[in-house]
Amino acid sequence: MGFILDGLDTEAYDRAYSDRELVARIVGYFRPHGRAMLLVAVMLALNTLTGAGGPILISKALDLLAQRPSTGSMLLLSTGVLLLGVSGWLFNYIRQYFSARVVGDVVLELRRQVFDRTIDNDLSFFDQNPAGKIVSRVTSDTQDFSEVATLTMNLLSQVLLVLVLSVWLFRIHVGLTLLLLAMAPVAAALALSFRRIARTVTQRARRVTARINAQIQESVSGIMVAKAFRQEHAIYADFDAINRQAYAVGLRRGLTLNTIFPVLGLASGLGVAALAYAGGLAARAGALGPGDWYLFMQAVGFYWYPLVSIASFWSQFQDGLSAAERVFALIDAEPKVVQVAQEPVDHVEGHIEFRHVHLTYTGDEVVLPDFSLEIQPGETVALVGHTGAGKTSIARLVARFYEFQRGELLIDGRDIRRLDLRQYRRHIGYVPQEPFLFSGTVRENIRYARPEATDEEVLQAALRIGGGDWLEDLPNGLDTDVGERGANLSMGQRQLVALARVLLKDPAIFILDEATASIDPFTESQIQAGLELLLRGRTAIIIAHRLWTVRRAHRILVVEQGRIVEEGTHESLLAQGGYYADLYNAYFRHQSLEYVESLGARA
Amino acid sequence: MAKREFAPEREYPYDRSGPVRWIVSHVLRYPLFLLGAFLGAVLDNLGYSYSQVLIGEAFDLIRTSGWPLAALTRLALLVFGAAAVQGLGGLLRNYPLEFLAQRIERDARDELYANLLGKSQTFHGRQRIGDIMARATNDVHMLNLLLNPGVMLILDSLLCIIVPLALIARLDARLLLVPALFLALFGITLWDYNRRLNPVSAELRDQFGTLNAGLAEAIGGIEVVKANAQEAWEKAAFTRNARLYRDRFVRQGKIQAQYLPLLAFSLCWAAGFLHALWIWRSGGITLGEVVAFLGLMGALRYPTFISNFSFNQVQLGIASAARILEVLNTETELDENESGVARPIRGEVVFENVTFGYEPGKPVLKNVSFTVRPGETVAIVGQTGAGKTTLTRLINRIFDVDGGRVLVDGVDVRDWSLESLRSQIATIEQDIFLFSRTIRENIAFGCAGATQEAIERAAREAQAHDFILSFHQGYDTEVGERGVTLSGGQRQRIAIARAFLTNPRILILDDSTSAIDSATEDQIQRAMRRISRERTTFLITHRLSQILWADRILVLRRGELVDQGTHEELMARSPDYRRIFARYE
Repeated sequence: MGFILDGLDTEAYDRAYSDRELVARIVGYFRPHGRAMLLVAVMLALNTLTGAGGPILISKALDLLAQRPSTGSMLLLSTGVLLLGVSGWLFNYIRQYFSARVVGDVVLELRRQVFDRTIDNDLSFFDQNPAGKIVSRVTSDTQDFSEVATLTMNLLSQVLLVLVLSVWLFRIHVGLTLLLLAMAPVAAALALSFRRIARTVTQRARRVTARINAQIQESVSGIMVAKAFRQEHAIYADFDAINRQAYAVGLRRGLTLNTIFPVLGLASGLGVAALAYAGGLAARAGALGPGDWYLFMQAVGFYWYPLVSIASFWSQFQDGLSAAERVFALIDAEPKVVQVAQEPVDHVEGHIEFRHVHLTYTGDEVVLPDFSLEIQPGETVALVGHTGAGKTSIARLVARFYEFQRGELLIDGRDIRRLDLRQYRRHIGYVPQEPFLFSGTVRENIRYARPEATDEEVLQAALRIGGGDWLEDLPNGLDTDVGERGANLSMGQRQLVALARVLLKDPAIFILDEATASIDPFTESQIQAGLELLLRGRTAIIIAHRLWTVRRAHRILVVEQGRIVEEGTHESLLAQGGYYADLYNAYFRHQSLEYVESLGARA
Repeated sequence: MAKREFAPEREYPYDRSGPVRWIVSHVLRYPLFLLGAFLGAVLDNLGYSYSQVLIGEAFDLIRTSGWPLAALTRLALLVFGAAAVQGLGGLLRNYPLEFLAQRIERDARDELYANLLGKSQTFHGRQRIGDIMARATNDVHMLNLLLNPGVMLILDSLLCIIVPLALIARLDARLLLVPALFLALFGITLWDYNRRLNPVSAELRDQFGTLNAGLAEAIGGIEVVKANAQEAWEKAAFTRNARLYRDRFVRQGKIQAQYLPLLAFSLCWAAGFLHALWIWRSGGITLGEVVAFLGLMGALRYPTFISNFSFNQVQLGIASAARILEVLNTETELDENESGVARPIRGEVVFENVTFGYEPGKPVLKNVSFTVRPGETVAIVGQTGAGKTTLTRLINRIFDVDGGRVLVDGVDVRDWSLESLRSQIATIEQDIFLFSRTIRENIAFGCAGATQEAIERAAREAQAHDFILSFHQGYDTEVGERGVTLSGGQRQRIAIARAFLTNPRILILDDSTSAIDSATEDQIQRAMRRISRERTTFLITHRLSQILWADRILVLRRGELVDQGTHEELMARSPDYRRIFARYE
């Protein structure tokens, strides 16, 4: 009977759909399975009838047999009980099996839909919604949704049972039935108040537990340091205090939760006693036979469970609805990037032109107020500036990851909004700041850019970077398993894989968000060899963090608050002594050979 | 018992020879709780079952003509009394078990923690912190759940079988026939159910994991997916996974739908009814006793539902206990060699043909030889995974070599007293751990008696003084959750200040972090430079400037020392090395 405690983990989400809308839409998902649902409903009704029929038959039997039963009548009645039980089991089996199928199909359809729609969103969507939350909507929320469907069906069958039984009992004795029904509010009130207490205690405990767990983690992480400095006793005293606190909190919560079910049991026992007495009085007055009296006794058990579960049902149902709402919100999210035409893109030269582009993500915060820039085919442009200046946005606009609000962006003189995106992106090579690898081998990851590439082509691409030296440092060369998100490879090696990926694709436009992480000097020089190769003969936009890259660029653009404030080569800008010179002093100076040598001089 | 470096003042002896024994020894520490819980469970079930008997009696009563009202009142009061016993018994069962469950979590965590503190640095150097953490939080909590609800439900189910059966026997021993038959059928069908369900459930869980992992990857790598226009491929992959999940879900649903123990109960229920009527007709029992029998047999329905869940809970708890015991019983003591050489270290370090690997046949270091004179600064360079960190761990004997020798001041490290050796070698790791205490306490962690003056001097040397004063409360600023969050560079400098105070003879500094801006870089560089003076220093570094000022450079590649020497020497002879400077040309 854990249901009283279920559904306490949900957060409050903004409600955008009315309940009516939501329910209608949920029903819509079940409509294609109309036949199966009908079967489930029929089985549910039959199961209810056999469930109520069992005790009724026994009560009748007790009256019938009371005289002088023949073996035949005893056998007949027992067979009746047997048939009711077996057919009840069978109906239940069919119902559960078919509902599992319906629920499985509905969840599949929902997941498929929500994934398809999600992945079609542009990057601004993924920027605003953390990946973890999206994932939980696609898998967990769809699951919760299906559980509500199951829950509703189970509850329906119980309520139906109570109804059938009530009708029968009313026919026998109105007063007693009313007494039985009077227990409903008592049961519901009890269940609800316990639920409220459980919620408070659980929430309080969760807050404290989170803190305590963090402290326990700290005391465990600190062991090594404590040992290095011989401070075991001090750290143990800290731990001991936290551990005792954890115990006290856990105990308080545990004792509260453990009070619930015995008290509910006690209350139902009280109900049985009251009913036994009142029923006895009615029998004494001749209004009730012993068999019927027995039936009333049994009914307490049948009534109690559904009543308690109805009390907790409503909030679980609400939770399920909000899970559905979260899923629907994801399905209904409109991609902001909209192509106005699907013109074929056979060839890209690499000429890029921004004309008075205005970009904002939220409406009130403008990233690019009025941005214009022309990049010639084959040119390498480095974007530098402080964090939040708009560098990444400029680069990503070229990949059409975002929608801009005003102005024009022209690729080879064609409006980017009119291009077939699938085809256009074949001509784009993009390496994000933290290169992303999919689990699988290095080979599979390189091939991701061009699934139809042969093994030989993949190998050639890999070999061209730094003479393929880097492959020798991988345990199994191209067949090395990169692990989850590339965890088996170093950051530098992941960069190399990402570069090989671009090289295999051989795009006209190369966009690189350079890593800030520290990479060992050997790998660093391999990466540079790879970049050297990639920059040749194609347009490149680089968000630069490395001194080497800015010096290599044909043109450096200093970006501040979405505007280009300076442009030129490294030497000319440095000589100018403006923004770039400041940036250089803050971010690039320590990468220069002069700096390294001045520090490196041995004292 | 293994040698320990720490033991709490009061210690309770637990039996660590096996997970079940270990749990039992924990439980037996509080015998009264156990006794109370058992008593409570008996009362609870007795209360419920006896009320069924009373209902049977009442049934007989109202069938007789002209029965006295007082008898009914008495029975109703008794039913209420039985309900009260049931409720109070339930509380008596739950409360002690909850106490027991919480105490076991507390005691086991305490035992684990004290044990961890007692383990050597060798052990901790080898252990992954995440593993230990999981044991100290999740696994000890599973012990709690093992007792409540796990043991609680098993105890309850057991008594929910025994007590009704006992009362049935009191009615008429012959009535036991069908319930006994049911128990046998129940056992068989439940076993069969689990045998069929478990593999399917495991598959379903796995598939859910696969579905989630694939999804997380597609969302996490969305830039790459879009940049390469692979949306269609990702959609197909996701649908494939979701469909597999659906198929397994339906398969599990089918097995769950045909829950045979329930059918067995229905069969036996009818059989029991017939059997009871038979005995009644032959005059063995009254009709009311037939009613009582039906009520008692109905109680058996409860264990039919609950048993699976509780057994799982207990199994999970035992698995957790096994994991905790694994740590408790690990002995990773290197030979402490207390009678070994113990004297101040000058700082000469020599590797002679050192070979080492974590797994047999997979050497991480191959035949490494070099000599470092006292006070020298050695830069260790090489790619990730080349064996840099491993090399340094052989110096303070977190690991011992497989072949060759490591000498400190001409003495094999295995001949040093471990205590003397380690107390003079300090390590500053890549991820620096700071306690949630004040900055002052963190710097003075190793020397509790350090004066404010000494602490400040150390902080100045480490280039930390200025940023510390920039905080509102200066040296009294709390670090961590309740206080300031420090950047990697700042943590590093606090660790360096700590090292200034403790003044080790050999320092191992893992410096693979990067500074985003030149100002921070300046300070880190100065701090490193100062701390490396006057002591032998091993620097694992990516920084060219450090490579330049180091007295000696070790170039590691795939576990081999491919070259060593000063910057000038290496520039002259190593093309690999030259290449890393080539980018400045």
